[in-house]
Amino acid sequence: MDISSLIDSLHPLEVKVLSTFGANHSAILQTEQLIQSTKLEPSQLSMAVEWLLAKSLLAVESETVTPIVSLTKIGELYFEKYSPIERVLSAARDAAKTGKRLTIQDIQSREGLEPSDVSGAIGRLKKEGALLIIQGGCIESTGRPSQTAETMRGLLQQLHGAPRGLQAFPEAQRQVIQDHSVKRGNAREPFRIDDRVARALKLSVTGAEAAQQLARQRTAEEVSQLTPELLKDGSWRTKRFRKYTISLRAPRIAPGKRHPYREFLDTVKTKLVSMGFQEMRGPLVETEFWNMDALFMPQFHPARDIHDVYFVKEPTHASSIAEPFLSQVAQAHQTGGATGSTGWNYPFDTERARRLVLRSQGTAVSAHTLAAQPAVPGKYFSIARCFRYDQVDATHATDFFQVEGIVLGEDINFRTLLGLLNLFAREVAQAKEVKFLPAYFPFTEPSVELHVRHPKLGWMELGGAGLFRPEVTLPLGVTVPVIAWGLGLDRMAMVALGIHDIRELFTDNLDLIRSTRGAF
Amino acid sequence: MPTITIFKQDLEGLLAAPGEAPLPITMEQLEESLMLVKGELKGQSPDTGELRIELQDSNRPDLWCCEGIARQIRVKRQGSLAGYDFLTTKSKSPKQLNVAPGMEKVRPYVAACAATGYRVTQEGLAQLIQTQEKLAEMFGRKRKTVSIGLYRLAAIEFPVAYDLVKPDAVTFTPLGMDTVMTLGEMLLVHPKGLEFGGILAGHDHLPVLRDAKSQALSFPPIINSREAGEVRVGDDALFVEVTGTDLAMVVLTLNIFAANLADRGAVIEPIEVRYPYKTVLGMAIMTPQDLGKSRKLPVSTIEQALGQALGAQEVVKALTDYGYEATAKGKYVTVTPPFYRQDLMHAMDVVEDVAISRGYGDFLPVMPSQFTVGGLSRVEEVSDRARALMVGMGFQEIISNILGSPRDLRDAMRLEGTEWGQLVEVDNVMSQNFSALRQWMLPSLLRVEAASNRAFYPHRLFEAGEVARPDSTQPLGSHTVTVLGGMIAHADAHFSEAHSCLDTLFYYVNQAYSLEPIQHPSFLAGRVGSIVSEGKQVGVIGELHPEVLERWQIAVPAVAFEIDLTELAERS
Repeated sequence: MDISSLIDSLHPLEVKVLSTFGANHSAILQTEQLIQSTKLEPSQLSMAVEWLLAKSLLAVESETVTPIVSLTKIGELYFEKYSPIERVLSAARDAAKTGKRLTIQDIQSREGLEPSDVSGAIGRLKKEGALLIIQGGCIESTGRPSQTAETMRGLLQQLHGAPRGLQAFPEAQRQVIQDHSVKRGNAREPFRIDDRVARALKLSVTGAEAAQQLARQRTAEEVSQLTPELLKDGSWRTKRFRKYTISLRAPRIAPGKRHPYREFLDTVKTKLVSMGFQEMRGPLVETEFWNMDALFMPQFHPARDIHDVYFVKEPTHASSIAEPFLSQVAQAHQTGGATGSTGWNYPFDTERARRLVLRSQGTAVSAHTLAAQPAVPGKYFSIARCFRYDQVDATHATDFFQVEGIVLGEDINFRTLLGLLNLFAREVAQAKEVKFLPAYFPFTEPSVELHVRHPKLGWMELGGAGLFRPEVTLPLGVTVPVIAWGLGLDRMAMVALGIHDIRELFTDNLDLIRSTRGAF
Repeated sequence: MPTITIFKQDLEGLLAAPGEAPLPITMEQLEESLMLVKGELKGQSPDTGELRIELQDSNRPDLWCCEGIARQIRVKRQGSLAGYDFLTTKSKSPKQLNVAPGMEKVRPYVAACAATGYRVTQEGLAQLIQTQEKLAEMFGRKRKTVSIGLYRLAAIEFPVAYDLVKPDAVTFTPLGMDTVMTLGEMLLVHPKGLEFGGILAGHDHLPVLRDAKSQALSFPPIINSREAGEVRVGDDALFVEVTGTDLAMVVLTLNIFAANLADRGAVIEPIEVRYPYKTVLGMAIMTPQDLGKSRKLPVSTIEQALGQALGAQEVVKALTDYGYEATAKGKYVTVTPPFYRQDLMHAMDVVEDVAISRGYGDFLPVMPSQFTVGGLSRVEEVSDRARALMVGMGFQEIISNILGSPRDLRDAMRLEGTEWGQLVEVDNVMSQNFSALRQWMLPSLLRVEAASNRAFYPHRLFEAGEVARPDSTQPLGSHTVTVLGGMIAHADAHFSEAHSCLDTLFYYVNQAYSLEPIQHPSFLAGRVGSIVSEGKQVGVIGELHPEVLERWQIAVPAVAFEIDLTELAERS
């Protein structure tokens, strides 16, 4: 503990004692002196001294034990109303003057004294020859003085309100004091002998430092705030700064920060760029052509009906679809065209192709990229907002992000597809174990589902992928094999954000957004 | 992607040849085998042996039943497809089904067969009905292109006629009812008539199947007769028919039923369908019929696509294992799919079957080796920069649905009837809450503000994201734009606070701008400006109109701005 925090931890009584040493660091002070200068009660002082000794701020230079005599309550009573020995003697003398016979019982009852006190007093007086016990249990004064009674009187007068050291008394008096002091088994005595420990105390090295610091603090003015003025003129050196209770709860602030879900998507985005993927973007409103036809989903496909896709109210149709893509895709659907396929063998409706929908799959963005003379080799990704005609509940959102992309190259085949998925498993989900399952997507063949063992979630489906069917790539002008891949990251995002309801990804609760730590 | 219910003991029975002891399968073996059919076990109850399986491949209706799953596993175990000799044996006097003239305009095609010698069990009946429903629903596009009828053969006298009649000319008691009614009445009152009647809309003559005694069997594709058309447990002779609008699909569907019943031990008796009009298969068609066309493929096509040298023999083996007929000759293989499949459109479909047959685990993953440079689109770069600046200025980012309601996007913003209130709206609305794309960002920010009056102030919110602006000059009728919206709300929020943030943003994206006073209903008059940069309007800034705040039930002043990031990105 450094000096400042040591000082902060001191009790006011300790501060008072240390300050008494003040500037005089090497002073040796007696307990008595400390009592005088601190004006503390002896018990308070002794408490403070014991604490300081325990903290090694004070050291004992020397220690003397002095027996001190003081009057007990009985003693003070004797001082006021005389001690039994005095009263027995005085009663005997009075009887002698009047010639009355005085019995021990008379004394007891008249003086209201305890039988033990009376017998003790009579025994002592008889021994000293001041009394005689005559026939019939009567006592008679001899007229001779009692040394004890006189000494007792003198002691009571000397000690009344003023305890003194035992050694200050002559031998005879000491004997009386010791005979009449409180002892175990005999509390009814006028004197008490206490051992008073008188210590000579001095400061330890640390204590001296603390005392110095305390001395400085006492002289400095306390301020609550360090100000530019204090810094400018250096006067902070003479100031004392008010101490704070730093264990109090900190006032809350709302920092500027990214949304935790966007932060998660940013991480994915950065990861994909680091793997050599170029971002692609596309419009929210799409034609059925780019959203589905170009992906070789036949126009009668069940996922294309009014219960799966949102259709746009106005305008209902795009003004045109770029050629030669429209004709080439139409041929692929109808007869396979030049793709080597049999096609779906139905009349392709170009009016239907122009129908406007809200983008329902991120693959629509990939389709545009295929038609826009992509780089070969090339890697592309998009994090695209998509819309599905779904009842909104804990697992279905009406709009959501799809993370999708393509890889084009001469070396693309089923095995490099698996290799790419391995890379995603490792980089995106930190998974070491993967499983590849056969899957079905209308636009890929072969198709694969990627299952990974996530460090937290166990086995989960991370994504789907495949090689684009030639019916997709050739009509859009791409002649090399193309991997199409998609990652399902919502579940990972929800775990990272600690939520269980997909609607909370887009929550309107500012407190929740502010307090969510997010994953990092 | 249908999900079907099957029973494990039924599957085990079907894994063995008819009449032989069932072949037990463990759950581990089953899960492994499901890869052959792109199936996923969705649920099971060990007590009853019930299994719920999702079949992914929407082009393989033959797999949407216990029989089909068992068949694919069985073929793989046996190494080839065997049996089904009804496809090749020819009867001298087959049962006949005659199609009436004019049917080509209503529901042109029909296929049928008889199946005898298989006594229908509880499980078998459940599977027949499930297959009938799944195929008609998902493969037959809700019975439009294909629907299926099952009958008790004993009640039927051949030849059967596929007739066209007036709606009130034929009466029978339909399944699920106990009164005789006309076809027209069935369309009006029977639940199936109400559900599927639309398929026959516009036709004044309706299809009906009748036997030689003029007994009505059914009203395709609506409902069967209760007398002949209710198959029961214990029946051992069935009549199966499929009607529809696509001949290949109709025949395929019957092939699947014939295969399923044969797998359960039935003897399939083909029926000759006679048309009064031409079809691609002629005017007299024996059904079931193998329509599989053989395809000659270079082995190298398969090897290149898979990235693995296999050799012709390995390819032939993998395909035969999967149910194909396959032969190798030199560098080519000739393959014919089994009669219950019609999903081969391209060589790539064969490639996938080779991979599935061998197992995906048989292919060692290889990293694509070609080098590419990654990067973000320019608008994303600009957006990321703007977001970082907003965060630095103490704004909390939010993220919202793009699909919202016209009430929030337009009405609550006081934009009814204005240029700013134009929206891309949804035609097939499910919920008014999700019926229009946001045309600007401020309603998204107000949505959070309105819900957060208990969150301590000040509130500084922003979102960068896409909006859709109607634009009749665009081919799509709208333009997707990435914008940045920022809002400050607290008791003393005022214009200059937002202005300072805007100013800072423009400084750091290195663009000059000026504010020009405009009238905008969402903002207080005199405290709103158009953000103009290089002579173009690129955004708006202002103090929100008290009436807007009132409509959102927001109790503190709010100032906001919105910037078109797409425009800024296109310049730099």
